[in-house]
Amino acid sequence: MWEWLSDKYDLLATWIFETAIQPALYSLGLMDWAEDAFTWVGFFLFGLVQVAVVYAICRPLEAWRPVEPHQDRRFIRTDILYTLLTRLGVLPLIGFVIFFSADAWLAGAMADSGWIPPNLEEFFPVLRDVPWLAMLVYIVVIDFFEYWRHRFQHTFGWWWALHSIHHAQQHMSFWTDDRNHILDDVLQAAWLGALAVLIGVPPGQFPVILTVLRVAESLSHANTRIHFGRLGERLFVSPRFHRLHHGVLGAGATGRNYAVLFPVWDWVFGTANFDRERFPATGDPEAPQAYVTGGWLRQQWEGVRQVVLALLGRRRNLPARVPEGD
Amino acid sequence: MRRFARPIAVLSCAASLLAAPARADIVYVLNSGEASISVIDARERTELRRMPVLREVHHAVLTPDGSTLVIGDSGGNELIFMDPATGEIRRRERISNPYHLEYSPDGRFLVVASLRRDQIDIYDAGTLQLTARFRQPDKPSHVAFSPDSRMVYVTLQGTGEVAAVDLTRKETVWTVPVGPEPAGIIWHRGRLLIGLMGSDEFVSLNPETREVTTAFRTARGAHTVFPAPDGRYLYATARVESGVWQIDANTLEVVRRFDVAGGPDCIAFDPDGRLWMTLRWLGRVAILDPRDGTMDHVRVGRSPHGIFVMPRREGMRADFASIMPGAVSGYRPLPSPLAARSGEPAAGHPPPIIAGAPVLAPGPVVTPARFFRRGPWRVEDAN
Repeated sequence: MWEWLSDKYDLLATWIFETAIQPALYSLGLMDWAEDAFTWVGFFLFGLVQVAVVYAICRPLEAWRPVEPHQDRRFIRTDILYTLLTRLGVLPLIGFVIFFSADAWLAGAMADSGWIPPNLEEFFPVLRDVPWLAMLVYIVVIDFFEYWRHRFQHTFGWWWALHSIHHAQQHMSFWTDDRNHILDDVLQAAWLGALAVLIGVPPGQFPVILTVLRVAESLSHANTRIHFGRLGERLFVSPRFHRLHHGVLGAGATGRNYAVLFPVWDWVFGTANFDRERFPATGDPEAPQAYVTGGWLRQQWEGVRQVVLALLGRRRNLPARVPEGD
Repeated sequence: MRRFARPIAVLSCAASLLAAPARADIVYVLNSGEASISVIDARERTELRRMPVLREVHHAVLTPDGSTLVIGDSGGNELIFMDPATGEIRRRERISNPYHLEYSPDGRFLVVASLRRDQIDIYDAGTLQLTARFRQPDKPSHVAFSPDSRMVYVTLQGTGEVAAVDLTRKETVWTVPVGPEPAGIIWHRGRLLIGLMGSDEFVSLNPETREVTTAFRTARGAHTVFPAPDGRYLYATARVESGVWQIDANTLEVVRRFDVAGGPDCIAFDPDGRLWMTLRWLGRVAILDPRDGTMDHVRVGRSPHGIFVMPRREGMRADFASIMPGAVSGYRPLPSPLAARSGEPAAGHPPPIIAGAPVLAPGPVVTPARFFRRGPWRVEDAN
């Protein structure tokens, strides 16, 4: 069954590529990008599948046990646009085109220096023969670094000026996961790129694992009154766990629950809150109005302005402070 | 666990190969989009197993002595040295982004083109010490040598040029424009034949005068060309109008066209003269018998790219093609076919099946009767 599905999926990607994308590339004199474009078609289709799976799982949960009623869907439309631009590969494609030359130059310079990026599999050879295990190890390591990136987003004023867009949503839903400023996305790519230089990039051939991760990240933003129980809350980030991070008081003040997938990092570094009864209202009361009610373009423009203000020391909305205790 | 992982993997691989019917050739397919190598039983046309690799394997070459298959994992930054007879991985070497790689005909150098970092690397073939690195303008793609091993030529996809690197002086001696988005390049009888992806042309470049002329036309998205071991034909691929063209090696005239869906890329020949082609966009390998146009498919991993046929017949080695007339053309053209080793047919005398292949009238187009159906396929007249 899986083989059959996988085959049909590949045939669809081939059909789209051969009938639409490749002839267009040829007409535009861009055939040297054919292999990258084929990869992008796969990314686009996989994004569609991911969005569909996430919707099929999260939407019923939101309808079943909502934390708050979202009667006006206008507030969510911008988040849907963010999701589609990111997951269907539009923003990644733009980033790829803009940074391709820089990336090639950097890779060349790195080779010149004699540095060959290692892989985790070199340090733990057993991972060579079990690629799915290698991927899980990569996920844990990357999640650790993502925890710290997230901490820094809340620590440095100029970075918080960007990340505040993510927190400004007062009607948080599973669509909110991708609500990020483009510059914030670029910073994330640079962060993960630097990590790749140290430990390599994870294997990417496990669509089921990647989809599960995607569902988990979206579910953590879902407007649903769900927690994973005493033990589960300590193993995986739940809607309750992450909602507390998005709470009105959490955005600029208390700074709790930064983990993306595994709460263990919050546990280890003293930023966890496992109070299973708390489902606070979300939003950042000090965020500019454009962050709260603006459309995608307005938020992007305002984000640039806010970063400049922060760098000039004229922004009042300060980042979080990690509390002493709870 | 670590202590036993490698022996278990080797045993598992060897067991898979031994489980194949006796004397069935083995085909290795590098799945660039899936971090794996498919191992195919050529007789049954079934996939025996998939061997995991680190990230992104693209091309494979035989060592000059014909004993080892060297596979470049560009995303994983390593070379894999494999025994092609058993599939056993003998060793791995860390190396920066090996995309397209080839040994010089004299066996002294290993040249690596790195598409992603705009560089060409020249390694000492024996020690794998980097002896020179050249930054290139944009996307060095494929490499081909002169038979005397003095020069290596590299297509530059991004700038539409071919660069000539002198291996003795270790410097780029000239760069010449050849046309839009050049990809595959081979040495063929004193000329370089180059596929232009942004065109329907294969051009001929005279390395002495640097004159560029049209060699032959295929269809939109011309890509790569491979010499058949018998030396009579070349086979050229195109991707936009997906197909394979049989070219007379003497006159460079198109003899036949075979419609092959799915973006044919690399071609390997089995001892019977059949073409094994990776279909880049389709996740399959096509097996084409050019004598009657029959075609078959085997499902492999995503984005299959490099391919290698390991013959397992009496007295036949991995480099069986190097003793045949076609050995004087290709990425690694030999000054003359190697002398036959014990048990192999003598140079210039191809195996009987190839020698007995019928010469068809020029012109027909071979079209699949149904997508992905096993052959035979319908033959139509182009006119």
